[in-house]
Amino acid sequence: MRASVIWLLSAAVAVAALGGGAADQPKPKPIWERNAPLPPGFNVGDAFPTFALRSAADGRPVSVAEFRGKKLIVNIFASW
Amino acid sequence: MDVPVWHAGLAQLEKDGKVAVVAIVQEQHPDRARLFLQWKRIGWPTLADSLDLLNLETVPLTIAVDEYGIVRFTELPMSAAKTIEQTFVNQTYPKPAALPPIDRPDLPALRAATTRNTAHAWRAYGDALSVWGDGRQWGDVIAAYQHAAQLEHGDAPTEFRLGSAFRKRYDSSARQPADFQDAERHWAQALDLDPNRYIWRRRVQQYGPHLETPEPFFDWIRDARAEIASRGETPLSLTVEPADSEYATAGASVAAAKVPAAEPDPRGRIRRDRGEFVAVETAVVPSTVTPGDTVRVHLTFRPNLRTKAHWNNEVDALVYWVSPPRAWTTDRRAVVAPNAAAEVSQEPRTVEFEVKVPETQAPGATAVPGYALYYVCEGVNGVCMYRRRDVSVPLQITARQKGTKR
Repeated sequence: MRASVIWLLSAAVAVAALGGGAADQPKPKPIWERNAPLPPGFNVGDAFPTFALRSAADGRPVSVAEFRGKKLIVNIFASW
Repeated sequence: MDVPVWHAGLAQLEKDGKVAVVAIVQEQHPDRARLFLQWKRIGWPTLADSLDLLNLETVPLTIAVDEYGIVRFTELPMSAAKTIEQTFVNQTYPKPAALPPIDRPDLPALRAATTRNTAHAWRAYGDALSVWGDGRQWGDVIAAYQHAAQLEHGDAPTEFRLGSAFRKRYDSSARQPADFQDAERHWAQALDLDPNRYIWRRRVQQYGPHLETPEPFFDWIRDARAEIASRGETPLSLTVEPADSEYATAGASVAAAKVPAAEPDPRGRIRRDRGEFVAVETAVVPSTVTPGDTVRVHLTFRPNLRTKAHWNNEVDALVYWVSPPRAWTTDRRAVVAPNAAAEVSQEPRTVEFEVKVPETQAPGATAVPGYALYYVCEGVNGVCMYRRRDVSVPLQITARQKGTKR
C-alpha cells in the first residue's frame, strides 16, 4: 500500500513531465514524496545497465542488452 | 497493480514491433509472477531479481529506454501508459557517439579475483554466480556472500542477498535444515541496517506474523487459478506453494480438516519417532523477539528418504499440538497438515502458528515445545505405524530497549 501511495503522490509530477514533452528530465520531487535515489543507470540520461538476470520461465540468463536496437519499456514489479 | 494498465497501453505497439517490453520481478519465487501474467494474458519476457541485484528500494518501477540503451523516462506513472506512444515510442533520439558497453561477467576471472580477498571481489563473484551458475550454485553463492559479509560488516545489500540465497537453497534439492531460518536472520539483519527498503521489508513480512491489518500477499493466486482453469487452460505450476503466512487470511491455505479440540496425547503414551521416519525443520520469524511481541513459527516435516518413509494418507492427517510455556499465548493449539490424495506419499508437510511472548518474559534463549502425531509407513507397501515427534522450537528473547515502541 505504501508503494501505491508513493506512486499516486509522484504521479502528478511525472505526468507533467511527460505531458510537457519538451524536457526529458522531470522536475525534482520534494523529499517527502521521493524514495531513495535510484541506483546509477536508472535515471534519465543514464546508459541503462546491461545486466543479466535469470529468465523466470526457464532459468536461462538473459541480458537486457538483447533488447538493444528497439525502444524498450522495463517494468519492474512484484505480484504481492 | 500497474502491470495490466501498462499491458493495455503497450500491446498494440508491441504487436507492431515499435517497442519491446521486459518485466523484472522482485520476488523470492518469480514463478508466482509468471502465474499472474498468465492470468492477465500477458506474454512479456520475465526476468527474476530475487536477490535484489538491481539494489532497488521499492516497486513498481517503469523505465523507458531508447534503442541505444539510454534512459529517457524513469519512475513512469501508470497514467503515462496512455501517452507513451507520443511521448516516447514515436520520438527520435540521437545516437550516442559511443554505445554503452555490454557487461558480460567473466566467471573464472571473478573467481580468480576473490584471491585478493576483498568484500567487493567476493560480492561481485556471488552476484555473477547467482545468475550465471549452473543451477546448483547456491552453496557457492552463500559462501561468497559470507566472505563479503565477514570482510565488510554492515553492508545491507550483502545481507539481503545472503538471506535470499539461503532461501533459494532451501527450496532446492541441496537444502540444508537451517537454510530457512538463516534466510530470515539475514533478511532481518539487512532491514535493520536499512529500514527504508520496502522490498526487503515485504520479504520479512511474507513469512512473519499476520499483520494487524492484513495486506494480501498472494491471495490473488486462488482467483487466478480458478479463472485460468475456467478458460480451459492449465495454470502454471508453482515450485513453492505460498505458506499460510503468505495469505492475508489466517489459515486460508489449510484445507478443512479435523482439528482436535483437546490435547491428543496428554500423557505422552504414543511411541516416539526421533528422526528415523520424519525429520523436522524449524524456522521462526522474526528469529529474535522482545517481550510482548509475536512470532510466527514454521515447521516442516520431511519423510526420511534413507529409510524410505512414506506418509500414510488413508488415515487421519498430521496433527501438531502447541504447548506454549505458561503465560504465553498462541493463535491455535492444534494445527493440521492435510493428507495428499495418493494412498502414500513423501511430500514435506508444513505447519504454521503464532505465539506471543509475555511482557514478563526474561531475555535469553528459550523454546516453545509441542509435538506432532502422524501415520507413517516403512516404504510403499511396508509396515505402517502411528508416531509422535516431540519438537522444541528455539527462540531468542532480547530485552526491549528503553523508549522502543512495539
